[in-house]
Amino acid sequence: MPPTRSPQRPAAESQTDVAVQAPARTHTASGQQPRTLARRQQRPGLLFVLPAIVLFGLFFAYPLIASLWQSFFATRGGTTTFVGVDQYARLFSDPLIAKSLGTAAILLVIQVPLMMCLAVGLAYLLNQSWLKFRTGFRVLYFLPAVTTLVAYSVVFRVMLATDGGAVNQIIGLLGVAPIDWLNNETWARVALIASITWRWTGYNMVIILAGLQAIPEELYEAARIDGAGRWAIFSKIVLPQLRPVLLFTGVTSTIGALQLFDENFILTGGGPNNATLTPVLYLYEVGFRQFDFGYASAIAWLLVILTAVISLIQFRLTREKP
Amino acid sequence: MKISRMIVPAAGLAAMLVVTGCATGGAAQSASVTLKPRAEASGEITVWSWDTAAAGLKRLAESYEDSHPDTSVKVVDVGYDNAYDKLSVGLQAGSGLPDLVTIETDRAPGYISEFPKGFTSLTPILGDEEANFDPSKWSAGSNAAGELIAAPWDSGTVGLFYRSDYFAEAGVDPASLDTWNDLVAAGEQIKDETGHTLMSIDVASGATFTMLLQQAGQGLFDEDGDIAITSPAAVDVLTLLKTMNDKGLLKNVKGWDGRVTATKNGDSAVHPEAVWWIGTLTAEMPELSGKFGVVELPSIGKDSARTSNNGGSNLAIPSQSKNPDLAASFLAYALADADNQVSLMENEGLFPSYLPALEHTYFQKEDPYFSSQKVYELFAEQTAEIPSVTYTSDNAKALDIVANAVVASVVNGADPKKTLEDAADQIATATGRGIAD
Amino acid sequence: MTRVLVSDRHHVRQTGNPGESGTGRRQRSAVVRHLPAYVILTIGSIVSLIPFLWMVIASTHQTSALFGTPLPVLPGGELMTNLARLQEETNFGRVMINSLGLAIIYTAFSSTISVMAGYGLAKFRFRGRGIVLGLILITMMIPMQVLLVPLFQIMASLGWIDTYQAVIIPFLANAFGIFLMRQSFLDFPDSLIESARIDGANELRTFYRIVLPIARPQIAALIIYTFMTQWNAFIWPLLMLNTEDNYTVPVALNTMIGLSKIDYSGLMLGSLIATLPLLVLFLIFQRQFIAGLLGGAVKG
Repeated sequence: MPPTRSPQRPAAESQTDVAVQAPARTHTASGQQPRTLARRQQRPGLLFVLPAIVLFGLFFAYPLIASLWQSFFATRGGTTTFVGVDQYARLFSDPLIAKSLGTAAILLVIQVPLMMCLAVGLAYLLNQSWLKFRTGFRVLYFLPAVTTLVAYSVVFRVMLATDGGAVNQIIGLLGVAPIDWLNNETWARVALIASITWRWTGYNMVIILAGLQAIPEELYEAARIDGAGRWAIFSKIVLPQLRPVLLFTGVTSTIGALQLFDENFILTGGGPNNATLTPVLYLYEVGFRQFDFGYASAIAWLLVILTAVISLIQFRLTREKP
Repeated sequence: MKISRMIVPAAGLAAMLVVTGCATGGAAQSASVTLKPRAEASGEITVWSWDTAAAGLKRLAESYEDSHPDTSVKVVDVGYDNAYDKLSVGLQAGSGLPDLVTIETDRAPGYISEFPKGFTSLTPILGDEEANFDPSKWSAGSNAAGELIAAPWDSGTVGLFYRSDYFAEAGVDPASLDTWNDLVAAGEQIKDETGHTLMSIDVASGATFTMLLQQAGQGLFDEDGDIAITSPAAVDVLTLLKTMNDKGLLKNVKGWDGRVTATKNGDSAVHPEAVWWIGTLTAEMPELSGKFGVVELPSIGKDSARTSNNGGSNLAIPSQSKNPDLAASFLAYALADADNQVSLMENEGLFPSYLPALEHTYFQKEDPYFSSQKVYELFAEQTAEIPSVTYTSDNAKALDIVANAVVASVVNGADPKKTLEDAADQIATATGRGIAD
Repeated sequence: MTRVLVSDRHHVRQTGNPGESGTGRRQRSAVVRHLPAYVILTIGSIVSLIPFLWMVIASTHQTSALFGTPLPVLPGGELMTNLARLQEETNFGRVMINSLGLAIIYTAFSSTISVMAGYGLAKFRFRGRGIVLGLILITMMIPMQVLLVPLFQIMASLGWIDTYQAVIIPFLANAFGIFLMRQSFLDFPDSLIESARIDGANELRTFYRIVLPIARPQIAALIIYTFMTQWNAFIWPLLMLNTEDNYTVPVALNTMIGLSKIDYSGLMLGSLIATLPLLVLFLIFQRQFIAGLLGGAVKG
């Protein structure tokens, strides 16, 4: 029988439709699983995950541990000494850590929600059957994501040039004075947010577009029969059904924001006056320019903790209770 | 809820693995080897370089193989800039490096001081040739003990490129520019007469500041390793840049692209650039032929040289090299040989650091692009005059802070002396070094 | 069972979509009704397209023209010269083949691993599942930069430096891909899996016959993502490859950025050609994103 579910029971709250009737989100009810089933799932479950576990174990167990280990050592002038948690203490008094986390926070609060909304809206629009040139639009919006990094950097620096740059010429038509995009602290941040959004919205749109396909047709149909309007369908059916995918794009965009490196490395080098310095760009400078790999590792693990906390909140917010 | 339950065991697992990890952790540096002067070398080596430098080395590798039987020299273009990621990772990991690597002169001191066991001393090979090399490159490529680690290759001798047509229009004689103050006055005159700014520079990079500081004879640190950016000379340099900006004589551009675009557009009257700028001019703006001339930099302060350094590279042999003798032999062949240095200039535009090469007639030739001026002769004469400055292991860190200070003062108008004092305090905090009186 | 579902969808699509199969008049009115949407989409498309157009223009001029003012707005005549130089300086044909081969092999293996692991994590309750998911998330959360040196040491001790296996094998287990698949499978109807089990199908057969066909759109997204990841990978191939003929496209293009000279027109042309395989791939796989036909009809 095809998967059906009454749209009048939109979210995941129902505890009774486990395994038998089996609409979406049965995973929410793990406590209800019979023990026999759990036992039966042990082996095949592990088998499916095994290739990934083996590969991670071979190639990432040592690097992860080595980086953690190294964060307790300081290197100066080629001499490495054990310093305990000194470098973690140093994180709290380092003004550049504070500054770079500030930039990351701006990205998290402004850029990530902006991009998520755009991506969801675009994906929803580009999934409509009435839309002509759907494939064309999809390709156009995906274009920025496939542009190579070198091309991206050149194009943006040309577009954002203060004199004669395309952006300033366009806003000049509207009577706005030329903006010194990359040399002014505020505008450099604006340019950074715009350029990240330009590059990654289409990519997130594709993920969400794929997620939209998983929504059973019957849900729309039933809602229509019930007389639900556009907004009701979008907010009561589409968004709740998209939750796992939105969680994915939310978590990965958060990681992307906290680990931002390419865009500001290329566009501003973290400047002016560290206004676009991000934690990973700072980490890179500390590790690869100043060769203090120990402190760089400490920064990395600070980021792991911060990202884990924020991701945890996101898991909670989407009410995933696995 | 779920995640926290996952992370606790994950952390436990990680902690457990740390015990096993520490046995293998830590990069083993190779034992140091001592090079044998003029050893009979054979076998094969790999060389990392970039861009035209790689092209030049590939050319020399062929002639070297022809004159040295049983040798093979493989030159790989690893790309500029990210080549340092390869070098840094290889040094840190203790493996994976080739027999010979290219390092820019400004980056060399950082690698030399932070990886003291990472490279082989070149003193046994080139030690007796010290007087024949650009002194600033030699000192930048040497370690604290005075051993040569990274051999000077090409020099970035700086001169003042000027638009002869703008100078003529404003009635300024470029030969009359003895000091930077003269230049500022000339700049105001040129701006009044022609509407063009004096210079287009990338303020945020801090490069112009350090270039002028080197011209004045000092680096960011003094000989004792103390922070030297509060010296009167440093304050003068920053004040000069701020004055130029305040008078509307500076155009702030971004990176090499920005400087090329500004030059091509004729935005500014002068460009204090290194000798390799000649290549950029002739390649990217052939239509401006006949509009440029070159003079020495105006002096800054009483001990000032009339030149500085901007760019240029060195070659070094990592300790990991399996064939350091062949690497050393090829290095000497390429760098300490007047004919080969001249050929690198003629074919790839790499200006010799090896002073005997500068005697060659090539450097006497008149260049039609510069209205038949003997531009190379001017740079050849100045190369031996480039002031040597002290680098420390904290140069990269200090440079970041100084670059921000330059922006704060020049662009945002902060007082130069106060700004540099603040920057010195920041460097002191970040590095634990003292501030020079 | 699958067939039932799929044919059911077809049935729905054919009958349940009046807006799509209407007369010309109705179509026109549909366009008019949705005019604001078209306007917004068109403006957004232009924003997406302009930088790309600039790449096209830049790749047909000499580099020196790109420093001029005003910048060229029409294509020039230097395309073939630039192409010849690109091939001459980077052996571009060869590196394109290198990149294609690596990306195809990587995508085949990595996607399979991601789909399997994602399915295992989403649909089975086995001991240690939390740890596995936690560790996968941690490998996503730690900046790659601090893992490079130890990973490099592993490659060196395996003797894999300057080999293709070093470029792809360490990253075959792709945390983002696994996480994407896990999230995609969370909502997969358990009833289908249960019925297959009751019918006596073993787990692999259920996975292959029931789960994979229905998850096609999400797998399409995964394949696009995985291919892109390898295709655009830069820092790791740069660290691993020490022979110019073995370079991938991003590493080879990077050599055109010199110390005192940047070959922008060659770079733009190379970048432009490099986007073509990704666009073709996207065109092929985005066809899987079609089930929304009915979703649109609801609004009509």
